Amino acid sequence: MNKIKIALPSKGRLKEESLKFFQKKNLKVVNAFGERNYFFNIKNNNQIEGIYLHAKEIIERINDGTLDMGISGLDLLKEFPEIYSQNVKLLQKLNFGFADLVVAVPKDWLDVQNMADLEEVSFEFKEKYGRRMRVATKYPNLTEAFFLSKGVSQFRIMPSLGATESYPFTGSAELITDITSTGSTLKANNLRVITDGNILKSSACLFVSKKFLNNKFLKHFK
Amino acid sequence: MKKGLEKKKLKEDFSKKILHYFKKRKFNFTDLDLLIDTSLLTERSGEQFKKTTLTYRDLLGKEVSLRPDLTVSTALKYIQEKKTKEERFCYYGTAYRLNKKGDLKVFDQLGCELINSLNKNSSLILLDTILEPIKQIKKLQINIGDIGLFKILIESLDLPERWKLRLIRHFSRREYFSDLLKRLETNYDLDQVTIDVDTQRLKDLEQMDQNKIIAGRTVAEIVKRFKKKLKDPRDNYKGKKNVKIIKNFLNIKIPLQRTERVIIDFFYKNKLSAKDIKNYLKKIIFINKKIGKKYSITFKTDFGRNTEYYTGLVFLAYIKKKNQIIELARGGEYNNLLKTLGYKKNIPSLGGAINLNQLINL
Repeated sequence: MNKIKIALPSKGRLKEESLKFFQKKNLKVVNAFGERNYFFNIKNNNQIEGIYLHAKEIIERINDGTLDMGISGLDLLKEFPEIYSQNVKLLQKLNFGFADLVVAVPKDWLDVQNMADLEEVSFEFKEKYGRRMRVATKYPNLTEAFFLSKGVSQFRIMPSLGATESYPFTGSAELITDITSTGSTLKANNLRVITDGNILKSSACLFVSKKFLNNKFLKHFK
Repeated sequence: MKKGLEKKKLKEDFSKKILHYFKKRKFNFTDLDLLIDTSLLTERSGEQFKKTTLTYRDLLGKEVSLRPDLTVSTALKYIQEKKTKEERFCYYGTAYRLNKKGDLKVFDQLGCELINSLNKNSSLILLDTILEPIKQIKKLQINIGDIGLFKILIESLDLPERWKLRLIRHFSRREYFSDLLKRLETNYDLDQVTIDVDTQRLKDLEQMDQNKIIAGRTVAEIVKRFKKKLKDPRDNYKGKKNVKIIKNFLNIKIPLQRTERVIIDFFYKNKLSAKDIKNYLKKIIFINKKIGKKYSITFKTDFGRNTEYYTGLVFLAYIKKKNQIIELARGGEYNNLLKTLGYKKNIPSLGGAINLNQLINL
C-alpha cells in the first residue's frame, strides 16, 4: 500500500503550531532520523511519510501530486494561479498563523485614506512624473487583482523578496502590500494601512490533494 | 458554416473588393507591425491590459504583445513615421485578443483610420466609408453612441471635481463604474474619524520643507490635495440626485432622428446647462441628415463604453441571427490615444473596421 505523504512547514512559529496541532489530533511527530533531518514519522503509525518543507513548496507539491496533504498559509495558495485551487483543496482553516495582506502607504500621505484616493493619486502621479506608481510586494498576483478591482490601474508591480516595508523610503517603490498580523512592523517603518486596503485575511490551513479528499485518514481531523 | 478553402477564397474576394473601395475613398493601404512593445500599452492603459493580450518576454527580457487591435498599431505607425498632417490609412490584418477564460481569439479586420483630420465632417466620412461595403446586407442595424456626450453630462453636474474625473475615467469599466455610483450615493470615500486625526497631523506636515519628497511625492503636493479633499462639498442628497440623473441618461435609447430633441430635453428637464450640448450635437445631426435615411440607426447613450480609448462618436453595425448579435463592423473616435502612445499632443482621430470572419459566414 502507498504511504500517505504529509508535509509541515520547515521553520518558525508555523512549524511549532503545526506540530502542536498534529499532537492534539493524536498524531505525534517524531524525528526518527535526527533533529536536523527533513523527514519525520508519526508515532505508532507506519502509514505516514512526513517531510518538512517551505510553506510555499507545500502548495506546489500538493498541486503536482507529490504530496497528499500539508499545512500552509491561505495567502500562499491564493497567490498561485487559480488553477491550483482545482487540485489543492482547503480541508480546514486552522486557529493559528493569522495574518492580513494589506495595502500600506507612507504615514505622511495624509490625503490617501482609501483605495479611491489611491486611484486618484496614481493618475496624478502618472501625469506629473510620466510613470506609473510602483507597488512593492511579495504577492504580485493578489495585489494586481485587488488593485484592478478597486479601479486602480495606473501602477506597476515591483516584486520584493523581503524587507518590503523599506521600499517606499529607498526610492524603489511608492507603496507596498504586505502580510501583517499586528501592524507593528508597518507602523515601525512609518507606513499605515489604507482603510479599505485589506486584500486577504489569511491563516494557516490544512490542504489536501483533490484525489486524497475521500481518504479515511482525514477522519483524524474531524 | 463555410469551411477551409471556400472561406479562404471568400476572404480574398471580400478583402480585395473592400480594400479597393477604401483606396477609392483616398485611404492609403498600409502594412502594420504584428508585435507591439508591451510597455507602451501598459503605460497607457495600465496593468489590466495584459489580461487581454498575448504577451511574452523576448530573449533580452523585453515584453512584447501580439497586436490586440489594428487601431493602436496604426496610431503607432503614425508616430513612428513622424507624420504631422492628416493621414488616411486602410489595412487588412489580424488582431489577437484573449477572452476572459484566457483563450486566444483571432479577428481578421479590414479597416480605415483617419488621423489628425481637421475636417469637421470626418466622422461622417469614416462612418460612410466603413458602412458602404456592407450596406446591402439584409436587416443591417447600426448603433451609435457618443462618449463625449457623457463627459458633457458629468461636467454639467454639481459634483466635486474628483468625482467628475473618476466617473469619466472609469466609464469604460462597467462593473467598477456601478461601484462608483453606489459610492457616490453614500459619499463613502470620506472617513470622518481618519480625517479628524489627519487634520491634526496636517500642521506637522505644513511645517516641514514643502519640497521634501515622501515616497515619490512632495510634501506640498500631499498638503494641497488633503486640503482640497476637505473642501469638497459633501452632500448625500446631491449624490443620490446625481446618480439618478446619470442612470436615467444612460437609459436613453432612441432612433437617431430623435437624438437632438431628446438629449436637449433631458438637459432642460434636469436643469443642467445645455450650452455645450447644442454645439456638440451638430455632428450627430449632420450624420443623421446625410445617412439617417439610408440605414436603421439607433442612438444609445450607454453604447461604446467598452473600449477604453474612445472619446467621442462610437458605432457598431450588426445583424441579429437567432437572437444572437453578429457584429459586422465597429469603430469610433479616439482623440487622446496618440498622445498616450507618445505623440506630442492630442489630435482628432477616428477609425473603424469590418469583421471579415463574420462577413464571410453570412
